[in-house]
Amino acid sequence: MDTVSVENEVIMADDGIVKPVAGGRATIDRDNRETVGDVTAKNPRMRCREVSVFYGEKQAIHDVSLDVGSNEVIALIGPSGCGKSTFLRCLNRMNDTIDGCRVIGDISLDGDSIFDTKMDVVQLRAQVGMVFQKPNPFPKSIFENVAYGPRIHGLTRDKTELEAVVHTSLDRAGLLDEVKDRLGEPGTGLSGGQQQRLCIARAIAVNPEVILMDEPCSALDPIATARIEELIDELREQYAIAIVTHSMQQAARVSQRTAYFHLGDLIEIGETNQVFTNPHHQLTEDYITGRFG
Amino acid sequence: MQTSVLILVLVALTVVGFYLGRSRSVAVAGGTAGSAQLHSLPSYYGYLTAIWCGVPALIVLGFWMAFQDNIITHFVTADLPAETAADPGQLGLALNDVKNLVRGNITSRATDPAMVAAADHYRQLQTISRLALTVVILALAIGGIALSWKRIGPALRARNQVEAVVMVFLILCSTIAIFTTLGIVLSVLFESIRFFRIVPVTEFIFGLEWSPQMAIRADQVGSTGAFGAVPLFAGTLLISGIAMLVAVPIGLMSALYLSEYASRGFRSAAKPVLEILAGVPTVVYGFFAALVVAPQVRGLGEAIGLSVSSESALAAGLVMGIMIIPFVSSLSDDVINAVPQAMRDGSYAMGATRSETIGRVIFPAALPGIVGGVLLAVSRAIGETMIVVMAAGLSSNLTANPLEAVTTVTVQIVTLLVGDQEFDSPKTLAAFALGLVLFVVTLTLNVIALHVVRKYREQYE
Ligand SMILES: Nc1ncnc2c1ncn2[C@@H]1O[C@H](COP(=O)(O)OP(=O)(O)O)[C@@H](O)[C@H]1O
Ligand SMILES: [Mg+2]
Repeated sequence: MDTVSVENEVIMADDGIVKPVAGGRATIDRDNRETVGDVTAKNPRMRCREVSVFYGEKQAIHDVSLDVGSNEVIALIGPSGCGKSTFLRCLNRMNDTIDGCRVIGDISLDGDSIFDTKMDVVQLRAQVGMVFQKPNPFPKSIFENVAYGPRIHGLTRDKTELEAVVHTSLDRAGLLDEVKDRLGEPGTGLSGGQQQRLCIARAIAVNPEVILMDEPCSALDPIATARIEELIDELREQYAIAIVTHSMQQAARVSQRTAYFHLGDLIEIGETNQVFTNPHHQLTEDYITGRFG
Repeated sequence: MQTSVLILVLVALTVVGFYLGRSRSVAVAGGTAGSAQLHSLPSYYGYLTAIWCGVPALIVLGFWMAFQDNIITHFVTADLPAETAADPGQLGLALNDVKNLVRGNITSRATDPAMVAAADHYRQLQTISRLALTVVILALAIGGIALSWKRIGPALRARNQVEAVVMVFLILCSTIAIFTTLGIVLSVLFESIRFFRIVPVTEFIFGLEWSPQMAIRADQVGSTGAFGAVPLFAGTLLISGIAMLVAVPIGLMSALYLSEYASRGFRSAAKPVLEILAGVPTVVYGFFAALVVAPQVRGLGEAIGLSVSSESALAAGLVMGIMIIPFVSSLSDDVINAVPQAMRDGSYAMGATRSETIGRVIFPAALPGIVGGVLLAVSRAIGETMIVVMAAGLSSNLTANPLEAVTTVTVQIVTLLVGDQEFDSPKTLAAFALGLVLFVVTLTLNVIALHVVRKYREQYE
């Protein structure tokens, strides 16, 4: 990531509004691990309070609190291994599938705790969809990939309804035009970018409220990336989106709020503009000016 | 010198050759400091010298040992009375006696002067041969060292030459297995062709009766033999079918449990235990089938009013199925594990339960590999002999009733060849024909299975 600072400046110049970081304006020194900034969102969909995650004895996330608001994209950034994926996976309890992984703290979806016995994990994952780093379509047809969720949740009554759902989802994911004549072909035969949009279509086919994306573009070329970023911006109208990204330009382009993680701590959170142009924490400034990461 | 002593001396010379070659290379380069001048590391010069010393000598030794006996026998034959030498049968007996005399064994003709003379000649030739061998081998070994000693210099590409020798050696090793297989196939093939000269192929493949007993002598009262293999193949199919009915579901389920549900601790304990099943000798399964399962099956059958023979296809098939379980489960476990974690994550993230994920994603993705594993298990079941001999009987019934005794191809091969046999009667030759067909069937299954498995592997790469 040694070229980040240069790229950063280019992007910000592109943006027009954001000015390059002057450096040295951050006021909170590196040893302070309290979260800086406002963790709440205007219309919170998901609320996390004091969340800690352990892999066996090792603590990967320390007391992180933050909200995911409706109709906004929140970007989680930070150096590799700082716990972004781990935190994201708490939101739909995907960490349950990992042996020895323990989550403590409160996470709620629309006011209901997701750890509550009343909250079924099947239901939770229908409401909180996830898109992974590497596109992972099932080795089935394009149609069957999208129909997977509606089928297991019994969302449609007959074949016409199912077809309608598949079509709408592909359409929203911006893939319909490219594949509508070959819905029966295997999803694994698409290009990487198309596969990733297929995975997004698969996730939105069950009408989720929140979509989690873990570095959805890191396996894609720049053109496919631009296509997905556009899509994320469109999806924001209907869903709350949390996206983990390695690229600060991407965070700047698609998100409204940004959270900076460092070694399992949430260091700084705020409006994306503010975090990139005027970080309050020295660690955040180090990261976005490319001093490490 | 005794051959064993000779070999020991050769080994010692080879070791000496190694050190000589190594020190020579250092010396040629002008001490350790100069060894950077050499093309290869000094030890490569050592290996090269050792190879020159040992390999030609070993090759000559091998040929010598292989042909010495024939050549000596040839000379000794000339000594024997002409009428003995003319008749191949007599000659064989006479030569045997000579060899026995040489070894000091007592024979019926120990007093025959011609034989004693032949034995003496034999002994004399042996001594000469041994002496010559010693001289030749030592000369070769020492000559090899000397030659290589002279060649060693900074320009000698010792490393490349050693590598080439190593490669040739590896190629030889790998071809041994191939040629052995080829030899087996060819011998079975030729014997089968002899059989098909006597019994037509069509009768063998389509005949419905199998009773290989034949009159050996012309005056014997006895059956003429019937060589219709259909009952044997039907029996094989029946027993393998029962075995697969047991092994596939149980093996598959246990593989699914182990790879998807079990905790890591349980898995690491249970898998070896399951694999122990594969290590139980089939003879043990055989008497388990004959002494425990068959009577149980019979008792159960009688309790519900069925007549079950004391040896039944069902008993043999059940036990064979149990024997094959680890095959199926271990192969399936491997392919299920090879389904990428990303597939599971994708499914779980959609809110699928574990059984939905298995049924809709993992199992379909692993299916080709599982099919491959099952085919391998089938060919194992078809080739299995011991359990069937002990639990399914020897009578060749053409029946689909699993409660009756049946027999299989492998069992018949065993019974045809056990005991004193004439090796050119159709009865014994039939065993080769059966073996050939069995070989073709299992080979086909294995080829299909390997093909399927390979195709499956490509799917995620
Ligand atoms: N399955 C796991 N078992 C044990 N430790 C893990 C596991 N997954 C992640 N970790 C550890 O947790 C920390 C955070 O990892 P992760 O959330 O993947 O980081 P990021 O996504 O920010 O790169 C790392 O130190 C990593 O080694
Ligand atoms: Mg990650």
